[in-house]
Amino acid sequence: MLGFELNPVTRKRLRRFQEIRRGYYSLIALVVLIGFSLFAELFISNRALIVKYDGKLHFPTYGRFQPGTKFGLDYEYETNYRKLQKKFREDENSKNWVLMPFVPYGPEEENYKDNDTYPPYPPSRETKHYLGTDQIARDVLAQLVYGFRIAIMFSLMLMVATYLLSVIIGCAMGYFGGLFDLIGQRIVEIWSVIPFLYVVIIIAAIIQPGFWTLLIIMAAFSWMGMTYYMRTGTYKEKERDYTAAARVLGAGTPRIIFRHILPNTLSTLVTFIPFTVAAGITSLTALDFLGFGLPSGTPSWGDLLKSGNENIRLAPWIILSTVSSMVFVLTLVTFVGEAIREAFDPKKFTTYR
Amino acid sequence: MKKYLSIFFLLPALLLLPGCGGGDNKEESGENGGDEKFPAQDVTAEMEAYYKEKSEFFHFKTPEDIPADLEWTDNNQLSEIGSPKAKKGGTANARLQDYPATLRVVGPDANGSFRNYLLDEVSVNLAHRHPETLEFFPGLAQEWAIDKANKTVYVKLDPKATWSDGEPVTTDDFFFMFFFFQSKYIQAPWYNNWYGTQYTGITKFDDRTFSISVPEAKPDMDSRVLELGPKPAHFFKELGNDYPQRYQWRFQPTTGAYVVKDSDVKKGRSIALSRHKEWWALDKKHWRYRFNPDRIEFKVIRDTSKAFEEFKVGNLDGFGLSLAEYWYQKLADDNPLVQNGYIKKVTFYNDRPRPPYGLWINQAKPLLSNKDIRIGISYASNWDRVIEKYFRNDYTRMKTSSDGFASFSHPTLKARPFDIEKAVEHFAKAGFTKRGNDGILVDSTGNRLSFTLTTGYESLKDMLPILRQEARKAGLDLKLEVLDGTSAWKKTQEKKHDIVFSAFGTFVEMYPRFWESWHSVNAYETDEDGKKKVKTQTNNITSTAVPELDELIIKYRKSEDAEEMKQLAHKMDEIIHDEAAFVPGFVQPFYRMGYWRWVNYPDDFNVKISDGAGEWFLSWIDEEAKKETLEARKAGKTFPPSIKVYDQYKID
Repeated sequence: MLGFELNPVTRKRLRRFQEIRRGYYSLIALVVLIGFSLFAELFISNRALIVKYDGKLHFPTYGRFQPGTKFGLDYEYETNYRKLQKKFREDENSKNWVLMPFVPYGPEEENYKDNDTYPPYPPSRETKHYLGTDQIARDVLAQLVYGFRIAIMFSLMLMVATYLLSVIIGCAMGYFGGLFDLIGQRIVEIWSVIPFLYVVIIIAAIIQPGFWTLLIIMAAFSWMGMTYYMRTGTYKEKERDYTAAARVLGAGTPRIIFRHILPNTLSTLVTFIPFTVAAGITSLTALDFLGFGLPSGTPSWGDLLKSGNENIRLAPWIILSTVSSMVFVLTLVTFVGEAIREAFDPKKFTTYR
Repeated sequence: MKKYLSIFFLLPALLLLPGCGGGDNKEESGENGGDEKFPAQDVTAEMEAYYKEKSEFFHFKTPEDIPADLEWTDNNQLSEIGSPKAKKGGTANARLQDYPATLRVVGPDANGSFRNYLLDEVSVNLAHRHPETLEFFPGLAQEWAIDKANKTVYVKLDPKATWSDGEPVTTDDFFFMFFFFQSKYIQAPWYNNWYGTQYTGITKFDDRTFSISVPEAKPDMDSRVLELGPKPAHFFKELGNDYPQRYQWRFQPTTGAYVVKDSDVKKGRSIALSRHKEWWALDKKHWRYRFNPDRIEFKVIRDTSKAFEEFKVGNLDGFGLSLAEYWYQKLADDNPLVQNGYIKKVTFYNDRPRPPYGLWINQAKPLLSNKDIRIGISYASNWDRVIEKYFRNDYTRMKTSSDGFASFSHPTLKARPFDIEKAVEHFAKAGFTKRGNDGILVDSTGNRLSFTLTTGYESLKDMLPILRQEARKAGLDLKLEVLDGTSAWKKTQEKKHDIVFSAFGTFVEMYPRFWESWHSVNAYETDEDGKKKVKTQTNNITSTAVPELDELIIKYRKSEDAEEMKQLAHKMDEIIHDEAAFVPGFVQPFYRMGYWRWVNYPDDFNVKISDGAGEWFLSWIDEEAKKETLEARKAGKTFPPSIKVYDQYKID
């Protein structure tokens, strides 16, 4: 579908975007963050990076589960690498060693201490809970990073899904016009007044939605807004001479839409992308906060906000670190969005100033 | 009585959402608008025809017909409830999580938590079980007599008994009670069934004397009758098809001490109980030291952490601290509010039937029908760690599904401990011998040992990750599903769950019930084609169907001998243990709370059989002390701290 070449105006816009440094660097920072979160297991995980046992090296991070018996322990279930590390260290003659990631905790794992202290545990370098734990002793930093990974992936996929829907429907309405447009518009209008949050809450109350169900539900209720832009854009381009020329040359409908109209209307959409991503993150977080989001136990910012709110006096570190991360990420996204909007501002390239 | 089949559940949040956006909708309340909306109607003729038509149920006789050899009891010798020091007056402040959906106590949406204040804990029935001895002390009944041979209870009403609107309570109100509860108008099938099948007749002797008969002479047959509360016939005159709407916001006259005034109903925001100054039982033994505050104001505060903050500034009188995080951290003993003596902390050990918190395994599901898997799950559930870490060793492990029924509970049986080796051994017997890539057991056909663990208890959800993490060690995967209360209950009632973490509400009675949860008629039914299928909407949520157990249950139901019933109960507990469809969880042997020093409780704090400090309305408010405390707090003056444990009813 994207087999077309970017038109010169778009290329100019991209160059302009690069010149807006705040937005450009924000984009780079975002990409780095996403990239980092994709490989989060290497930095934050309760599974060791490398275990040297009996002269052999093991790399448990991405592999299948490793029973404790493999490393000379007396249990069949997944090795507790932190304890293994401690055991190897205590034995001075041992040549075995364990290399743990920077944060040796998983996001879903409870880490109640064996003494008489109870969570939430405050941030501490000694325990390697760098941002502390929540009320059931889960590491906050691990939850933040894995929660970010899920939120951003969710949001990106949601964006792709909604844009796909809205581009197809909006384009079709604009291109075919007439009765199809009339009926389509009414459907969009009716669909838009369905209170989206209620629908999600009702569905979530009946079945507990997983990642994909939630994605589908949310996509189904968020494509409408964009169809208006696509529809008007298509209407406009359809009447242009080059489209008429293409038709005269005998081009079929798909060719006209994909080769001629879409490339010229898509640029409107691009300006919306960052804001759609931000909206995706916030609505997922909001749903999780309300308890209607992803299944319990999935690391999520909404859950963190909730436990932070419940423990605001007892454990301010939860809410502080979550809110700061949210503000940071959403600010980055907004900077990118601003920059794109400015770069794509038609006034920049018009003679009618 | 409705209590007995209901699981604690929350009203679905979404039903409440429209209520919170609304502005001042006071005008809607009250009856003014109602009169135009609901034309006058009168059910009296229909009621009289009903009595005539069902003459085998409704009997009319004369006082001469009362058997002469009856032994009348009044149990007035039972000890007083509450403290003679109690003073009437003052305003108590309390919190509601949700606004009540209706002021009706029967019919759609009426089974909410506020019904306790309209009916269950406030209104006066014929007699009530004494919270120390379980014997009946008199309420509306002045005295009563039990005729075991004829399965009939005779009742003489207290001549003083009056409804809160001044009408006397008469035999007709008890006749009407049956008409009301058997009527289709109330849209409450449970009541239709209960009042239609659990009683065989009512006989009027005069305006204040009647008798009620039951189908079986169980050891506690008196409770079937004495726990009945009448319905005011004069108030429900307009009963009809529009009953739910017509009576939605009308407060029913009560036999109890508290009424709700129309002006106190601020929908979505607050509601208040006002003490009825001319209450008929004001000076009656067992009742006179209770129901002390003049007003009890309830404010809707949805968010628990916000309610806690309100409590700490003194806008709420008390706050439940049973959860460890509140008791030890959020209001720790060294908190200035406690140390300065403004807020008192108390732990009270009660002794009552325990709600069976635990895992209920649905045997109608493919793998869970295998007993070895169920036993494996029992061994793989680390309740000890939950109790140790989440409940900080304050709670104890539950033993059977019917703990707390004194000698009716099994004397020696214990729940299976957490034991990975035994769990793995039993899973292996069921064919799950190999561990998959993620450490979860798989069988030869590739089935993963994975089940969904559902719960409707939002407030206890934080303990589930511990169970999940520990179960993984035994190769068992539990997928957690936290639904809202109503949905979880619905799913369970439709028997669509794998495993549910839940408890049944237990109320105070002599012996545990088995038929509802364990008899096979509540597990399976046969459809028209003769095919066996799962029966929905029953409380046998484990789909248990054991012929031997069925037999014992029927014997137990029919038995009229307490000793025999005990033996049968123990035997059934053993079978249930062997079947392993219920994994006993925890018992909370006490309740804990914090309260401001202007609230006073009796010297021994509360009664043995109570499930919360407020249940018996024993406290009283000292308005002087309230002023003093709030001023002292401003001025920095302090009082001696008070952190007390009442363990007179503690059982080890």
